[in-house]
Amino acid sequence: MIKLEERKASIQPIKSKLKVSILDDQEISQINQNARTVMEEVGVKFPSEKALKIFAEVGANVDFDDQLVKIPADLLDKYLATSPRSYTMAGVRPDLDVHIGSGEGTYFYCSGEAPKIVDFETGERRLSLKKDIANHARIADYLPIISLLWPSVSASDKGVTSPIHGLEACYTSTEKHVETESVMDAISARYAVKMATAVAGSEENLRERPTLSQLLCCIAPLAQDRGGIEAAMIFAEHGIPVGFMSMPTLGLTAPPYPAGALTLAMAETLSGIMLTQIINPGVGNYISVNPGIIDPRTGVYFMCSGVAQITNVGGIQMAHSNGIPSLACHSFGGSQYELGNWQAGYENLYSHFLAVMAGADMSFGPSGMYEAVSLLDHPRILFDREIIQVIDEISDGMEVNSKTLSFDMIKKIGQHGSYISQKETAKESRKMWRRESILYEDGKAEGRKWRDPVDVSREAISWILDNHNPEPLSADVKKELRSLVAAADVDEDLKKEVLGR
Amino acid sequence: MSDDMFNKLAQAVIDGEEEDAVRLAKQALDQNLDPLACITNGLTKGIQQVGELFGSGEYYLPELIISAEVMKSAMEILEPAMASDQEIEVVARVVIGTVEGDLHEIGKTLVSTMLSAHGFKVTDIGVDKSTEEFISAIKENDATIVGASALLTTTMLQQEKLIKSIKEAGLGDKVKVMVGGAPVSKKYAEQIGADGFAEDAISAVDLAFQLADAPV
Repeated sequence: MIKLEERKASIQPIKSKLKVSILDDQEISQINQNARTVMEEVGVKFPSEKALKIFAEVGANVDFDDQLVKIPADLLDKYLATSPRSYTMAGVRPDLDVHIGSGEGTYFYCSGEAPKIVDFETGERRLSLKKDIANHARIADYLPIISLLWPSVSASDKGVTSPIHGLEACYTSTEKHVETESVMDAISARYAVKMATAVAGSEENLRERPTLSQLLCCIAPLAQDRGGIEAAMIFAEHGIPVGFMSMPTLGLTAPPYPAGALTLAMAETLSGIMLTQIINPGVGNYISVNPGIIDPRTGVYFMCSGVAQITNVGGIQMAHSNGIPSLACHSFGGSQYELGNWQAGYENLYSHFLAVMAGADMSFGPSGMYEAVSLLDHPRILFDREIIQVIDEISDGMEVNSKTLSFDMIKKIGQHGSYISQKETAKESRKMWRRESILYEDGKAEGRKWRDPVDVSREAISWILDNHNPEPLSADVKKELRSLVAAADVDEDLKKEVLGR
Repeated sequence: MSDDMFNKLAQAVIDGEEEDAVRLAKQALDQNLDPLACITNGLTKGIQQVGELFGSGEYYLPELIISAEVMKSAMEILEPAMASDQEIEVVARVVIGTVEGDLHEIGKTLVSTMLSAHGFKVTDIGVDKSTEEFISAIKENDATIVGASALLTTTMLQQEKLIKSIKEAGLGDKVKVMVGGAPVSKKYAEQIGADGFAEDAISAVDLAFQLADAPV
């Protein structure tokens, strides 16, 4: 069983001694060169008048009719140079700050924005509600392996302001850093900025220690979303980090080769990053490449293939080669596995292991997702956690020194003996045996039997939901958030903006 | 002063400090303390606490075994110094071993250690022991409980042979037989006429208390 106790939130990045790389320096250089040629000769579509003007002002080749931006390589690199390799995504308390690119390891997200949830009480699938976001945020707040989070599901009971309600549910339920990927229009972005400012205390504090970040999905191939890019410009203006995610589907929205897919991914993400750097030099960015393939027999999207994993690790290397932090996005409930399916286990193990070994700054990890990130099941998050814990252990590698070589002990025990009665064994067994697990029980002898981890996990989640109630905000800040959300709910312009898209 | 020594002996067992335990045992004798009292109020109290710590999950097997070995080392100093009419109070006398043809030791040793920690006087005869060696040890140690371990499907048959031999030797009324090991089950134990089956060292202690007809 995992430790169930009253405690404050904490975060635990994983630093790997083991390394993996897919691309060598020459290959990285070829892809970077190719991406720059694509940006210069083919261009990226920015369907936003504001964005096009900004690009034109700094000397990019802009076609306002086709909303196409062509960027010379030297111009791109000039603006990429101000994008920081390291920066902070702030939690409510400094010890919960995520120090991107600091060398502290890979930070794990609880993400999702899934539309459905398995009801914890009835076991039935239903559309997700605002209260589900708050509940999952409390669970994520409790688990140290999760460093930052999104609203894990959407608030289907709140209509077009679901993203704003999602932020309120997170801010009032966790002390950890909150990110949005569903605020996809300028008006909602302004509400989100006001909310983040209220949480940070002031606009200045927000710039110093941003309590919000945005992930913006590009549209493959070679395009940005209008609302999303306009929201990104507002966030960047206020010092809120903006990450760009490219989602190339090999053989559908991208070439059928990882190198070609990475070329597109770099063109899409780097052009977006350039825009935010023009607006606010030094604002934080990151790159995420979330590749997939389709089942060629049915056309069904398939996130967790081997080729997608290779592309993803390559994406981490490509981001770093451009001096930009990376968010690994392999499978966090990616494939079409169903509840309890073993496929969930193996996909999560190898995908997150690769992310950690490739040195990703962040990774979408323990989220509790199934069915291509469309279904949340609270207890599943503890299975994800279990996998990440194993990765943490393995990625530590092994120590080889005079103590661990154990010659003296081997000599002392000799033949036919047992090492169990050695003091060093007693000490090391506490490291070797992970007490916090849903796979086995510790504690009293009579309970120390194998139990179905599904039952153990449900029991733990039930305890967390009953007992972990963080109060990250003062009453005044909560009131301010409430009034901002209430204003968004009756904002006709927001409604038109969202529904008009 | 004696209470202080008893506490120190108990603590040495709890901490798994063999050198301390041996030194304290010698010191106790130098101070003319009653060796039986040192065992009963010191070492035994310590090992009982270790058993409780293990039962509650605080201690792991290495700590349990280390403590048992520490106790054994101190006993080797104190026991010979006991007066001839003194006897250590025990729950029951147990002979334990792995059956003939089977060299597996760890499970049997764990049961042995756990029983010792709970006040049983255990004679561990080792591995690959014939029925004759078991019976001889039962007689020699006046045991009322026998633990027979087997880790192979081929050697588990020896457990049945042992039970028959114990009855043929006229010890059937006096001795209770408990069996264990990976291939053994409760059903198999019943089939071969064993008095009990335990699947691990912890349940073996409960079973031994039942067989000894003593309160747990």
